[in-house]
Amino acid sequence: MSTVGSSRQAGALYWPVQLRRNVGVRGLFAVVMAFLVAYGFLFPGLFTASGFAKFTQSWFPLALVAMAQAILMLTGGISLAIGAMVSLGAVIAATTMTGPLGVAGGATAVALTGVGIGGATGFIVVKLRLPAIVVTLAGSFIIGGAALLILPRPGGAIPEWLSDLLAGNTPAAFVLLVLIVLLWKLYLATPLGLSLYAAGENPVGAYRSGVPVDGARVAAYAISGLLCTGAGLFVAAQTGSGDPIIGTAFTLNSIAAAVLGGIGFLGGQGTMRGALAGSLLLSLMISVMFFLGFTPVAQYVAQGLIIIGAVAIPQFRKVQR
Amino acid sequence: MATAPLLAARGVSKSFFGNPVLRDVSIALQPGRVHALLGENGAGKSTLINLLSGALRPDGGAIEVDGRPVWRMTPAYAQQAGIAVVQQELSLTASLSIAENIGLGAYPRRFGLLDYPELAVRARAACDLVGLREPLSVPVGHLSLGRRQMVEIAKALYRRPRVLILDEPTSSLSATETKVLTELLERLRGEGIAILYISHRLNEVMALCQHVTILKDGACTADRSLEGTDAGGLVRLMVGRDPGDLFPQWQASVSTANAISVRNFSAGLMRDVDLDIRTGEVLGIGGLVGQGQEDLLLGLYGAIPARTASATINGASSLPSGVPKANALGLAYVPADRKREGLHLIHSIITNMMLPAFARLPALKLRSRRAERETARGLAAQLGIKGDLDRPAQALSGGNQQKVALAKWMPHHPLALLLNDPTRGVDVETKREIYMMLRNFAAAGKAVVLLSSDTPELVHLCDRVAVVREGHIVAMLERGALSEEAIVSAAMGAEQRQVAA
Repeated sequence: MSTVGSSRQAGALYWPVQLRRNVGVRGLFAVVMAFLVAYGFLFPGLFTASGFAKFTQSWFPLALVAMAQAILMLTGGISLAIGAMVSLGAVIAATTMTGPLGVAGGATAVALTGVGIGGATGFIVVKLRLPAIVVTLAGSFIIGGAALLILPRPGGAIPEWLSDLLAGNTPAAFVLLVLIVLLWKLYLATPLGLSLYAAGENPVGAYRSGVPVDGARVAAYAISGLLCTGAGLFVAAQTGSGDPIIGTAFTLNSIAAAVLGGIGFLGGQGTMRGALAGSLLLSLMISVMFFLGFTPVAQYVAQGLIIIGAVAIPQFRKVQR
Repeated sequence: MATAPLLAARGVSKSFFGNPVLRDVSIALQPGRVHALLGENGAGKSTLINLLSGALRPDGGAIEVDGRPVWRMTPAYAQQAGIAVVQQELSLTASLSIAENIGLGAYPRRFGLLDYPELAVRARAACDLVGLREPLSVPVGHLSLGRRQMVEIAKALYRRPRVLILDEPTSSLSATETKVLTELLERLRGEGIAILYISHRLNEVMALCQHVTILKDGACTADRSLEGTDAGGLVRLMVGRDPGDLFPQWQASVSTANAISVRNFSAGLMRDVDLDIRTGEVLGIGGLVGQGQEDLLLGLYGAIPARTASATINGASSLPSGVPKANALGLAYVPADRKREGLHLIHSIITNMMLPAFARLPALKLRSRRAERETARGLAAQLGIKGDLDRPAQALSGGNQQKVALAKWMPHHPLALLLNDPTRGVDVETKREIYMMLRNFAAAGKAVVLLSSDTPELVHLCDRVAVVREGHIVAMLERGALSEEAIVSAAMGAEQRQVAA
């Protein structure tokens, strides 16, 4: 049982490193817990199986796009094409899954589209050294246009059993999310994954240390694309059909969630657990305000104020110290 | 010599934007030898290192590893060949832990995953070599600059190099850390590693190195054994002048009037400081790196929050509440990090020089380009800044950038200059000019506060030196008592406190 011995040794470095990464997001976790408790009071159904399923389903797509945005922001990039990618994923799923390709073929098409477009975007940004914000803005028009070409108006269909499985009375969304988080941990334990931080914060230094900076960044764009179209598939399953503009709101919400989660705009700052907590907080905020009877307009205003507050509070604390 | 050099450059040349930076330079690194690379800033040292480590490719000539020319040298290839570089600018990632930084780019793997246990063992070994005791899981962003430099060195050692290149490794190290490094390099040399050592500190070079290559304006002026040379001879080879007049003749110009006087002053790390700065003196601030010296200057300048029981600053009876107020009181501050804080690199030299003037003009008054140009020309002539003033500031060498950072305050005739390590990374010739300038300011009745990590310049230039340790002024050394030993021992707390006069 040598693996047991070595994994115990690994604890000597791996777990302390993980613990230190928690330091920056402790406050955020506390706030999320507070909102969770508040939500539990307002909506006691949260602790029933179906309530929990519904809640995680409403959070799931936002969690995916927050991760998609956070990966890019860690490399020092950003994407304004998140929403368009979600839409594209949704329409591809809705047009292929009931056709000859079937569910497996449709899911593969969705995944390949995400990885392909993400990778191509990354290639343009990284190899041609163009600013990410401009490339992805242009990309959002192209990708959004492609979604409208595939499905000019809401339509298509998702097999009912798949909708029931993903968005019905099952904890599938939560299980999937746990799985994705585990995969992310695994990726971050690979040299390429961990290089993301170095490539984002100090690309010159990382390059001189022998890190494949360009490779790490292109890979990040590809993963980000996959997460976005995957979120699209889920949204299509939720609604049972495809809508070519359903993802639009996700672009800004993904940035909001990542920023709430403490991901910095300069690259290399922040953690994925922070981004996930940020997306959960955003999701909770929306639900809590809904239950408190806020009008939609008031919700938007409150949401904006909370985001500014969340970014400002750590800054103020830093100044005081 | 019979053995082939581990790493060599043969007649390499390199130009940037048509400016030749290196012309036909050769250098050969032999095993078991510490090779010094000397030259003023802008002489091409960093470029040569980048060529040797594959970060840049030469326009002409060849890089040889083990006597064989390598045509496509890349950082990855260099790493495989056992070449490790400790860069002057750190290559660390603040949010990753010490161990993750040390292994970056060369992580041990198991099943494609990063092998944390193995990394821990090897990183610990590298840290032990350089005397880093911090837990390996500490993010590098939490370390002081000097400790980060040690991580950088550990990172190079982790790769078990055959060739180790160090670019000014001691510029941010304390005396203790420097000593650890020196002993380490001696040991590595004994193990047959070829070491290339770049430093502006000649006494280190004399003590540590056996062979020297000197660059001047991109060409090689000496490639010889260090035996039988002295520091003076080296400086002559670097600048083509005698080093005797590096420091200007010291003449007392101090008056009894106080320019700045504070009691119970606290800012940042500094606690309860009593300090009088007189007009016409150069007051040195010494001590180990990061003991709060910078906070003292920034606090006086109103750039960070400060508290004080009483303060007199050029006649005003309170600390400036902000930088514009400080400027109005006749204070000027020159930061240590000239690339980030001192200058706006992508803007023209003229714009940089005029920036404080812009702050003083009425916000909506039209600018007079001609007047600006004349002022800038005058400043450039006065400080010896050569060339077209419309070039961006980043086109200048480090020394000339520092001059611009100083020059921009001159039109406002500051009464007190707060200088944060103004000669860090500056070549010998510019150092001499800056020293001259500082003494002249003092002679003209200004108060000069010189925070410096270079102990000789504190000794030779200052009227008094305040030594800072752990946020307190632990010693105030008068001119008569100034010596490198006195400053270092006070900085390290090796001696009883001397009473401030």
